[in-house]
Amino acid sequence: MASREIVRYRSPTRGAVQAVTVIFLIVFLIWTVLPLLIMLVSSFKELLDAFQLPAVGDWGDVGVMFDFKPTGRHYVELFTEKHFATYLRNSLIASFGSAAVSVSLGAMAAYAISRAQFRGKRDLLFWIISTRMAPVVAVMVPLYVIFRSSGLVGTLPGLILAYTTFNLPFAIWILKGFFDNVPYAIEEAAQCDGCNRWQAFRLILPLVAPGIGAFIVLCVLFGWNDFLFASIIGSGGAKTLPVATAELVQPVKIQWGSIMAAGVVTTVPMMFLGLLIRRYLVAGLTMGAVRE
Amino acid sequence: MAAVTIKDVWKYYGKTLAVKELNLEIKKNEFMCLLGPSGCGKSTTLRMLAGLEFISSGDIHFDDVRVNDLPPRERDIAMVFENYALYPHKTVFENLANPLKLRKMSRSEIVERVRRAAEMLEISELLNRKPGELSGGQKQRTAIGRAIVREPKVFLFDEPIAHLDAKLRSHMRGELKHLQRRLETTTVYVTHDQLEGMSMADRIAVMHEGVLQQLGTPSEIYNHPANEFVAGFVGEPPMNFLDVRLERSNEGLSVVHPAFQLTLTDAQRHLLENGNAESDTRIGIRPDNLLIESGDGGSLDIAGSIFVTEPLGGDMLIEANLDAETRVMVKTKIREMGGPGDPCRIGFDIEKLHVFNKETGVAYF
Ligand SMILES: Nc1ncnc2c1ncn2[C@@H]1O[C@H](COP(=O)(O)OP(=O)(O)OP(=O)(O)O)[C@@H](O)[C@H]1O
Ligand SMILES: [Mg+2]
Repeated sequence: MASREIVRYRSPTRGAVQAVTVIFLIVFLIWTVLPLLIMLVSSFKELLDAFQLPAVGDWGDVGVMFDFKPTGRHYVELFTEKHFATYLRNSLIASFGSAAVSVSLGAMAAYAISRAQFRGKRDLLFWIISTRMAPVVAVMVPLYVIFRSSGLVGTLPGLILAYTTFNLPFAIWILKGFFDNVPYAIEEAAQCDGCNRWQAFRLILPLVAPGIGAFIVLCVLFGWNDFLFASIIGSGGAKTLPVATAELVQPVKIQWGSIMAAGVVTTVPMMFLGLLIRRYLVAGLTMGAVRE
Repeated sequence: MAAVTIKDVWKYYGKTLAVKELNLEIKKNEFMCLLGPSGCGKSTTLRMLAGLEFISSGDIHFDDVRVNDLPPRERDIAMVFENYALYPHKTVFENLANPLKLRKMSRSEIVERVRRAAEMLEISELLNRKPGELSGGQKQRTAIGRAIVREPKVFLFDEPIAHLDAKLRSHMRGELKHLQRRLETTTVYVTHDQLEGMSMADRIAVMHEGVLQQLGTPSEIYNHPANEFVAGFVGEPPMNFLDVRLERSNEGLSVVHPAFQLTLTDAQRHLLENGNAESDTRIGIRPDNLLIESGDGGSLDIAGSIFVTEPLGGDMLIEANLDAETRVMVKTKIREMGGPGDPCRIGFDIEKLHVFNKETGVAYF
């Protein structure tokens, strides 16, 4: 098997390309990281400190932004008076719950669609993805009516179900592509070894791990970032972080410190998720199994 | 260990006919080889035995059990795939252990069996590697290992050693044959390499374009090919074919070719007469059964000239022209044959001659 190392040759163009790449990365880093940094720093500031800004163009005075006495007051407040622990828990349950349901149902459906040949397969696939094409607001009202008459409004199962309706078609499509890339011969070998269909499916599941990993991230992010469903269907009993954060914006006294802290609380878990899942996203696991 | 019966089996892929009216009885503990060129339906037949392919019509029995509708795992077969089909995310050890684990064997038994199989296949050092880190030959041996760690009713091998180097291949031929004799497991072995078939099988089924051409022991297939296809496919270098006319003469029945004339034996004459042979026929003779002498002073009948010589180590392969249109391949032990254009004399071992119907290809003898 060919090694997967990338062969590099030195040339003047390469050097130039490298320089441009570095410059681009620096700009990109500032663009993405700076707002997060300001959010993080501000969340530890008292309200007055937060508005200590240097005059425009006065680069020498940037130091005032970092000249403050850090306080954890906002975080304590969030988790005591403002019940953010509950909202954090709701967010986690809703997004991961929906990811789990979508991934298990989606993997099975995708496997079946990938392996079976039947009439109307293309139509079925199109129908599945077409459910994702309608904008969320378009289905919001009917969905709300259905959910209310089923007693699902304001509950976590309701929210999970709502996210799943949107995640599942997506899961089927992504995972079908990954299953298509697993040679059928591997399953045939498994069957000859003595596996039944279900065992064979489980055996090849690790081969689609990159797909599952990628999908879990997308699925969790969808639920985590969602505002519309959470505010309408989850309202009351199943309030999630974005909704709770939005409620901090009050007409008279905007609580900047708490909002910044809430922003940090919302961002950090997703960063860890990204780090955690990264190693599953390495493709190319199937290489070398079957002679092409 | 089961006898396998294939009865009137047809296989269509959509409209493509892959196997046509196949009838084959494989005896208990027999080593049966399916031999034929690429695309002749060997793999298809094997996959129908494994249960990986639906049978369009006909029946397959293992002993007395009709297996048409049984999935692979209920047929108790072990198969080696043409393209390895290893589990890429599992190590060689886990690949070999998988069928044993599914049978709920104890850990120590699994380790022991895998160790034995790995030793035989010379992959003991590779047990902790994944398939992606193996060479083609190592993968193939791993695939064989996965089949032989257990004792199934039937072994199904689909060109299991086609991608090994020559030395390892001949080693594995011996090992597989020995293993089959020791385990006494009914084996169906698919190959396009006639040497593998000849050297390993108890019986060979030669297939061509989905049709069984001949079923017989290696020596029957080699010495009494049923038709021109089998005669040409089996044997290396391949048989020489020449178009001739049959003519009666005082001495009996003769084969007449522009470059030579041969008188057939009485037995051969009877066979041709009984077969109502047309006068336009085709003869076949193996390179081993042609005699050759260098120079033009020898005692053999036919004068020819050397086209090219190919030394093969022990033997020598010579292509010789009998006349402007006719060239034959001769195998000989003689070392000094001269070069292209040099004269030589050639003779037929008449007992080893084959005669075929020119239209149908069917052999008279
Ligand atoms: N899945 C399939 N769909 C359609 N046609 C097929 C399929 N598999 C095989 N065939 C056709 O059936 C015929 C027999 O194929 P098969 O694979 O049995 O050949 P083979 O004897 O094993 O050849 P090889 O030595 O190249 O492996 C071929 O003409 C092939 O094109
Ligand atoms: Mg084949």
